[in-house]
Amino acid sequence: MSFQGFCEWLSHTSLSVSLREAPYDYPVLLIVHVLSIALFGGMVAMGNLRVLGVAMQGVPVSQVINQFRPWKWLGFAVLLVTGVLLTISDPMEYHDNIMFWISAALILLVGVNGLIFHYGIYRDVATWDESVSAPASARRWACVSLFLWIAIVFAGRAIAFF
Amino acid sequence: MFLAYLLQGIPEAAPLNPIARWEWVFPVVESIHICGFALLVGTIVILDLRLLGLVLRGQAVSKIAKALAPWIWAAILIQLTTGPYLLSSDPGEYLQVPAFRNKMLFLLLALIFHFTVIRKATAPREESAPLGWRKPAAFVSLGLWLCVLLAGMWIGNL
Repeated sequence: MSFQGFCEWLSHTSLSVSLREAPYDYPVLLIVHVLSIALFGGMVAMGNLRVLGVAMQGVPVSQVINQFRPWKWLGFAVLLVTGVLLTISDPMEYHDNIMFWISAALILLVGVNGLIFHYGIYRDVATWDESVSAPASARRWACVSLFLWIAIVFAGRAIAFF
Repeated sequence: MFLAYLLQGIPEAAPLNPIARWEWVFPVVESIHICGFALLVGTIVILDLRLLGLVLRGQAVSKIAKALAPWIWAAILIQLTTGPYLLSSDPGEYLQVPAFRNKMLFLLLALIFHFTVIRKATAPREESAPLGWRKPAAFVSLGLWLCVLLAGMWIGNL
């Protein structure tokens, strides 16, 4: 089955039809989707700004990152699940939407960026935990993360525009 | 309302306003507005969760409040710039939408609550006192900001 064929099959499943046709499913999913950004968007921003040495300088880097981690995972999971359900609601529409694919690629990149940070420079956080500003490579990853998240908001909003 | 009466006289944004001239301006400004809301509500959520003892327990509440304050102010500045600009795209129309009026009401309540009750709850002199009234205050703050978001998102659905 081709990818387009898969999307067509998906759009005829009962889950897809009910998400598309029920009066409130779509707006409620969209609201929860954006709401999850409010839950952890501030934590993502504060974590990165702490690594950059411009916010919460008095709190050790590892405390900011470790304490926010479970909340960020919760928010990310909600964002992902509602995002997948929104996609299932109208696969053919998103299949042809360039902004949808850019958003999906950016989310993948932000995940890869997080893994590189966590299993790379963050492993020796103990040596720079208390300092105001992290090593240059950690600051670089923080900048990339901030940029990617802002780009995700722009691309996500643009899905509806295209 | 006098303001509503004034704005109803303006059928749509002046033609020189970029938001009325190019259709891509609105989603771009709206994206900045969403980033600002993530920063504003996100930082207030951190403060409320700290009051409830759910994050950063090792740090004093007043210390976290002081560290977050400039970012909360920066976010308020972004929101109070982009918000009214989005409104200027079609002020007469927005004022007719109940969700918009509800959002403004909840926003006013949430801001007043933040700068009175939450400010007092996170002040240094409350540090050694038992949590008491400060715990429900954190829940009220979370609830008010949730209402702002729900009403705000509902504007786009109507």
